[in-house]
Amino acid sequence: MTAVEWQIVGFTVWVAALSTVMILPFGLALAWALARANWPGKSLVETLITLPLVMPPVAVGLILLEVFGRRGALGGLLHDRLNLDVIFTWRAVLLALSVMSAPLLIRSARVAFEEVNPRLEQIARTLGAGGWRVFFTITVPLAARGIVGGMLLAFARALGEFGATIMVVGYMPGKTATISLAIYENVQIGEDARAYRLLAVSVVLAFIAVWGSEFFLRRKKTA
Amino acid sequence: MSLRLKNISLPLADFVLEVDVEMHGRVTAVFGPSGAGKTSLLDLIAGLRVARSAFIQLDGSVLTDTAKKFSRATHRRGIGYVPQDLALFPHLSVRQNLFYGRKAREADGPSVSFEHVLKVLEIEPLISRGVTELSGGEKQRVALARALLASPRLLLLDEPLASLDVPLREKIIPYLGRVRDEFQIPMLCVTHDRFVALTLADEIVVLMGGKIMQTGPVSDVFNFPANAEVARFVGVETLQPGRITGVNEGLATVTINRVTLTALAPATPADAVFICIRGEDVVLQRDVAVSSVRNRLPARIIAIRPEGALFRVELDAGFTLFALVTRPACDELGLREGDSITALIKTPAIHLVPR
Amino acid sequence: MKKPILFTVWLVLSAVALPLRATEVTVFAAASLTDSLKEIAANYEKQSGDKIIFNFGASSTLARQIEAGAPADLFFSADEAQMDRLAKRDLIDTATRQDRLGNSLVVVVPNDSPLVINSASDLANANVRQIALADPRAVPAGVYAKAWLEKLRLWPAIEPKVIPTENVRAALAAVASGNVDAGVVYKTDAAISKRVKIACEVPRADGPDIRYPMARVKGSPQPEAAKKFLDCLASKEAGQIFMRYGFLLRQ
Repeated sequence: MTAVEWQIVGFTVWVAALSTVMILPFGLALAWALARANWPGKSLVETLITLPLVMPPVAVGLILLEVFGRRGALGGLLHDRLNLDVIFTWRAVLLALSVMSAPLLIRSARVAFEEVNPRLEQIARTLGAGGWRVFFTITVPLAARGIVGGMLLAFARALGEFGATIMVVGYMPGKTATISLAIYENVQIGEDARAYRLLAVSVVLAFIAVWGSEFFLRRKKTA
Repeated sequence: MSLRLKNISLPLADFVLEVDVEMHGRVTAVFGPSGAGKTSLLDLIAGLRVARSAFIQLDGSVLTDTAKKFSRATHRRGIGYVPQDLALFPHLSVRQNLFYGRKAREADGPSVSFEHVLKVLEIEPLISRGVTELSGGEKQRVALARALLASPRLLLLDEPLASLDVPLREKIIPYLGRVRDEFQIPMLCVTHDRFVALTLADEIVVLMGGKIMQTGPVSDVFNFPANAEVARFVGVETLQPGRITGVNEGLATVTINRVTLTALAPATPADAVFICIRGEDVVLQRDVAVSSVRNRLPARIIAIRPEGALFRVELDAGFTLFALVTRPACDELGLREGDSITALIKTPAIHLVPR
Repeated sequence: MKKPILFTVWLVLSAVALPLRATEVTVFAAASLTDSLKEIAANYEKQSGDKIIFNFGASSTLARQIEAGAPADLFFSADEAQMDRLAKRDLIDTATRQDRLGNSLVVVVPNDSPLVINSASDLANANVRQIALADPRAVPAGVYAKAWLEKLRLWPAIEPKVIPTENVRAALAAVASGNVDAGVVYKTDAAISKRVKIACEVPRADGPDIRYPMARVKGSPQPEAAKKFLDCLASKEAGQIFMRYGFLLRQ
């Protein structure tokens, strides 16, 4: 493995981890709202969350391209007000990874929250704990296994993301090249040996992440 | 304390819970069969549930008023709750559970000393244990302590003995009594267990099918059930339909099948009545000499079943009659199924409820 | 009673007749040839009755696919390097190989862009932050652009701003969408899109020598039909169509 290849691996792991951390607050909030409450439009939101899991990733990438491009609804705003470009930069990689992996986190976290006995939360409130305190001292610790499992699953997904990513960035080692993009590119230009090395790394990383995820998501024996 | 529940209307699965009552006792028992809406009532008081209409006021401060769309948040009500499944936090140690409600805020109720609670409930040795290692009785006491340590101004208990077996129940009741005596915190206890109501409560609210059947001091409800349903539930062993055939000088003659009994005439004149006789008021005797008892019934023993420290004896006295006797008495009399014996019932022990 | 019989007869005849009449010729061609080749093929199909199936893409990608055994009849590359690559592996019928077209490079910008780029050195300016090129490591359009900038010794300054794309049409699309400040594409591509404008042309003297070779692929499924279409591509009529799209003829 050359320095460039390690750099690509490092960048991929770093952006995947960052995206997992980024989707956590929003993902947990949404998962909790889906688990505990009924509200108008809930089934619509549930469907929207599942879309990135079943739509062609390139289709999702195309949507991101349209929305976050310089002429897009959000991209235009960022470009004009903050002079910030998303498409063709590492931010687009972060965006693509986040959008594609968030559904996995949200679904796992929702199941984890649903398995927390609501009675425990209610009793905590009678003991004087307000909403946030109950959430962080009771709900989250009891749902922790499922949440961590969901995070690892999202991380694994982000590591392997390709379809949406390739729509929104070019291949620039050091700036936007992920392992999956690098494998594709190197196969294109005939650098097979490099592609196979990256393939091996990809398998190892995915294996570790998924194995870890299964460990946490495996149902624990009821105490 | 004074707890006012007015205009409560909450539709449940099979019926609508409708309550309108004021409670003042040190310990009030909400007494009724399972599924009567008792837990839902506690949830309403604690603010964990929303009713179609409700007005709840504790000691002068309004907690819920649906007419004004006002409902104070649960965590601001200062009402302690020990639910039926105890709901101890499994991921926290006993100590962390106990301290959970003890935050840096003014206590709503009388302040409660940590050491005092530990001593009264005898849970000092359990402090550093994990919640899952505790036995049923230990969990009960920890849950109770946890609610107390939050210095509530009212303590709600949902079926405090339900998950325990009989020997354990008898051990826990004294603790509840101690809590009543040592801490000046009023308690509202939901139960279907007569023993709990009898030993702990000052006043009883009988809730059946979502409606209040009777309220009042414990002795009143148990000795003078307002109607047949309450009587049945309160634990009158013998409940039979009969007819009053004559009233003379405050005494009523009552007939069941072909048997005649003398009872105190009911306050409201009635024709068809239920005859209520508590098992402990039936005396079994072999030789019946002269006695003051008006009702002496020859009977045959149908069955003898143990009930705790007593035996429940089913008799055929012309109608089905139950007697509760102690084990030693049973042995002394040599009671056996199929025996003939005389059942003696004092006139004031027969309670007539209009049908 | 009559209708179903007639229908069945017709069905059988057409099923038998079609393979005899319509031959399919598969052509792998550089992305920049998309519009011109489609027009030529439409005319050819009407005259000959053969059907032309296209696979447009970066010449490097297409070469790779042919190496892997893709069933192409003809290969029309945007540079010699990719054709040589296949020739080295003895995958093309060298007798049929001919340099057909030339092209020139232009710098394009989004048509609402205020940027002024008159020469290559302007590309190095700070206000040009992102430049789309077809992947300069393999795709001919990008390779040509890199060669041009290296000749002017501007490549090191410009390389950090380069956004490599899948093929030259993707570079064009990136400029058209406004997501990059500028791009280097073929002059023929710039003419196709209404959402870009040409900022400046690369003069023939500075620019690289752009050649589009075409050849029949060895072991192709339809050798006769392939040769026929190849002759059509070499014809004068096809040449006029190419010129209309802005290509230079080499023959």
